[in-house]
Amino acid sequence: MTASLWALVGLPAMVGAVLLVSGRRADPVAAPCAVAAAGLALAAAGVAAVSRPSVSVPMLAGIPAGLAVDGLSAVAVLTVAAVATAVLLFASAEMGADQARGRFFGLMLLFTAAMLVTVTATDLFTLLAAWEVMGALSYALIGYWWGEASRVRSATLAFVTTRAGDLGLYLAAGAALAGGAGALQLSGLAALDGGWRDAAVAGVVVAALGKSAQLPFSFWLSHAMAGPTPVSALLHSATMVAAGGYLLVRIEPALAATAWAGPVLVWAGAATALLLGAVAFHQSDLKQLLAASTCSQLGFVVMAAGAGSVGGGMLQFTAHAAAKSLLFLCAGVWLAARGTQELDGLRGAARRRPLAGAAFTVGALAVAGLPPLPLWTAKDEVLAAVLHLGPAPYAVGLAASAVGAAYAARALAAVWSPVPAEEGGASPEGSEQRPPPSEALPLAALAAATVGLGVLVLPAAARWWRALLGAAGGPQPPAWEMAVSGLLAAVVLAATWWMCARGRAEAASGRRWAGGWLGLETAADTLVVRPVAALAQALAAFDDRVLARGVRACADGVTRTADLARSRGETGADEAVRAVASGARTLAAWALRPQTGLLHQYYVQAVVALVVLAAVVVLMR
Amino acid sequence: MESVDPLTLLPELILALAAVGALLFGSWTPRRRQGRVRLCVTAALLAALAATLVAAATGTGSDSGGHTVDTATHAVRVVVLVGVLATVLLAADTFAAHPRESEFHVLLLLAALGTMALAGASDLLVLAAAYLLASIPLYALVGFAKDSPGTEAALKFYLLGALSGILLLTGATLLLGAGGTTGYAGLADALPGAPRALVAAGVIAVLAGLLFKAGGVPVHFWVPDVAEGAPAPVAAFVTTVPKIGALAALYRWGDQVLAGAAPDWALPAALLAAASMTLGNLGAFLQTDARRLLGYSTVSQVGYLLMAVAAVGGRADLVQPGLLFYLGAYTAANLGAFAVVCALRARTLEDHAGLFRDHPWLALSLVVCLLGLVGTPPTAVFVGKLALFTAALEADLGWLMVLAAVNTVASLFYYLRWILPLFRASGEPPEERERSEPPGRWSTGVAVTAAAASLGMGIAAGPVLGLL
Repeated sequence: MTASLWALVGLPAMVGAVLLVSGRRADPVAAPCAVAAAGLALAAAGVAAVSRPSVSVPMLAGIPAGLAVDGLSAVAVLTVAAVATAVLLFASAEMGADQARGRFFGLMLLFTAAMLVTVTATDLFTLLAAWEVMGALSYALIGYWWGEASRVRSATLAFVTTRAGDLGLYLAAGAALAGGAGALQLSGLAALDGGWRDAAVAGVVVAALGKSAQLPFSFWLSHAMAGPTPVSALLHSATMVAAGGYLLVRIEPALAATAWAGPVLVWAGAATALLLGAVAFHQSDLKQLLAASTCSQLGFVVMAAGAGSVGGGMLQFTAHAAAKSLLFLCAGVWLAARGTQELDGLRGAARRRPLAGAAFTVGALAVAGLPPLPLWTAKDEVLAAVLHLGPAPYAVGLAASAVGAAYAARALAAVWSPVPAEEGGASPEGSEQRPPPSEALPLAALAAATVGLGVLVLPAAARWWRALLGAAGGPQPPAWEMAVSGLLAAVVLAATWWMCARGRAEAASGRRWAGGWLGLETAADTLVVRPVAALAQALAAFDDRVLARGVRACADGVTRTADLARSRGETGADEAVRAVASGARTLAAWALRPQTGLLHQYYVQAVVALVVLAAVVVLMR
Repeated sequence: MESVDPLTLLPELILALAAVGALLFGSWTPRRRQGRVRLCVTAALLAALAATLVAAATGTGSDSGGHTVDTATHAVRVVVLVGVLATVLLAADTFAAHPRESEFHVLLLLAALGTMALAGASDLLVLAAAYLLASIPLYALVGFAKDSPGTEAALKFYLLGALSGILLLTGATLLLGAGGTTGYAGLADALPGAPRALVAAGVIAVLAGLLFKAGGVPVHFWVPDVAEGAPAPVAAFVTTVPKIGALAALYRWGDQVLAGAAPDWALPAALLAAASMTLGNLGAFLQTDARRLLGYSTVSQVGYLLMAVAAVGGRADLVQPGLLFYLGAYTAANLGAFAVVCALRARTLEDHAGLFRDHPWLALSLVVCLLGLVGTPPTAVFVGKLALFTAALEADLGWLMVLAAVNTVASLFYYLRWILPLFRASGEPPEERERSEPPGRWSTGVAVTAAAASLGMGIAAGPVLGLL
């Protein structure tokens, strides 16, 4: 059944490439083609998840390129393909006729294919290739409205930041080669020699933290919101940012093999979950809130990888993908209807659009970790594993999940608050209409999936899930723990909602710091960008003043030497040549002398010469 | 003297019959239609060539005591016949519809016959007869145009030829007195015991006759005058074809008689070679007339060829093939250069300015032929020169080889003096150039063919040398 695997990655890639090269001619058919390709890929993902195919083709000498679907990637490909299908279906209504739809859907499909390759890759070589393609396409998607300079700048910033993290993967590939994992297999990283294993794991960790927008890379995700809403819904839920967390879960054995990687990841994830949760709480823009929430939620995936909880991590990955894409799509609906993403401007939006409101509520409650929704289960599984490392990270994680409930409540309070009286029925969305099926269907499906995944809290389902991922036997959260965390989420949610509804949350401290994404961008600018720019300027000055001048000096020296040689040395050579020439001319003139034109002189010369010759012959003996 | 199988002399017989036939046919042909004679002559030449090739391929040979037919004879026949053929074609431009065209062809055929006889002669009396047969028609040919430069050239040619002929006959007489025979085989046995002064005088006298035919120092004085004064096709023939027979005869004379009889033969031969190549080159340096320059250049080429005669004591398997190959290569290059002169009817080197733009093929042919005369790879003369240089070195004549190499480098100077103007813009105004006659078609064809042959022989030198 390798055909299903080829179809899974090949179909979106090919349709996407065709749409891209066709340009605007493909606009009318782009959306149906893209949805069909994504749907077929979803079907292929279903087949592949059951049949578990694997392929390998020779690529470089001794380094084959391999793709395989195992339990882990089965979950990932289904999640990615399903979210991609839902988002593309939604986008087919969202992207109007005035947009370059061929380019949009082509890029989206290619991006999906790259993500699918990323999650099915069995070796660093394939992973690197797909990872890079994904990074480049994210630039194109975020900068989709390239006419506006600020969006292009945001795309560049996001691309350069993730690209800086990507260098870690190259370090990892180099270390794997040097350490003896000749075929670059991901599964071989754990068996590397000590130093090389540390280097490889460190490289992967840096790349994954960068891609997943964990601290200290988080700020790029804020800029990534410059893209169209469907782009955010795809990139910042199931793909792109999720790829980093997924990669960490995949190489969990190698992480476990090093003593330091686990704690580092747990702390990085916990810090991100807490601090970016605070950032999310203080955002006034819905998409920014969702972006920061993405960082925060993925912090739990990173924590899971660090603590060795594959089952919890993958559940967090999947459930967050469904919930967050749902939230972004709802934000897209309201953005289209009201033309704003500001929480203040969205007051009462949920009341006007009940379907979107309901879907948003499901997503937000899931993100809040409210029982029995799946993120509640996932966080508790992760936290149970973290508890083995000590109470401190456990406490931070618990606080982070409480913060998640707080920002979810803030968003819910905003969209459910009563419509201000002065807006009355005069708002643009005043004439209520039934949402088109291409909008309603994805929302309904994603909401259903979000709720449906909650079934994994049941012990039997949880056991199946762990067996599927090959992670049976991990620490299980005790019932009281789950009850406490569920209660905490509910209390925080209710309290925050109440406070927000009364308008009291605005006074919370640290608003400026957290609202500005912890000053991360300024810090990166100060600590990295400026020193690098200064170094580059210094090197340019060195180049101009030392190297270039040296080269010029060499050239001048050669010219001067040549002048010297010409004025001194060449004179002698010239004279020698002239002497030879004049000698030859003299000889030539002499040679013409016997040719007098007088026959008797010819006779005399011939006879004399012959007599001399005869004399030579006689006298020789 | 034994009886001779006439079949071994078939090419010579064909030429003799063709000469007589052409004379008779021409006498009864209207003057306007003498082109027929040319056709018949061409056919006869091709027939003789075919006969030669068949004889060479079947390995037919004979030695009657007076005339030898061997590889050298075959090779000389081929080169001479091809040379005559080329001359006939060259003359098609100049002498077509000439009132005495058939006489021109008769004289040409007789001279060629004499040249071929020279190459095969192995008896002094046969040599003398061949010498006369090869010389006398040429005197008439040189003065064929009846103009004053041609007449002057013919007179000088004839008078020097008369002196050399007398010397040749005197030498034969002296050697008959010294050795009691005129056959080469007998002389080789008898001469070592004969009086030394007598032998020296005889040998040098015979040598003088052959050197005259070859155009080597010190009886070379006729060469520049004839090259400049004679009609161009005749000049091409006289400076090229008789040399082939003369040098083959010189080699045979040195190889069969002197190499055994006079051990110090190499020195006078080497001196003659050195004098010829040096004087010829120096003489060519300051020439402004293209044909006179070519005349001096042939004198220097004879000098290189005489290296083979000086090296007879060395490795025979290297010397003879080298000489014969060089003769063929020299014939192609020299006839090619003369063919360009014939085609353009130009006199001075400056007249050739701008040739590359007006007639690129002619210019390229001239470049190939002149560089061929220098001995630039991959032309054929390069291989010939290389073989003779090696032969000279093997025969302990290192100084001669060095001198020849220096001369080769020096010769580049005057050939380049001719080549460079070809690529310059012509000094003449365009309308004047357009009024000038177009180049002769036949001559152009011969020039291009000769250049191609020069290159082809050079590239295929290995197999060709294997045949010799």
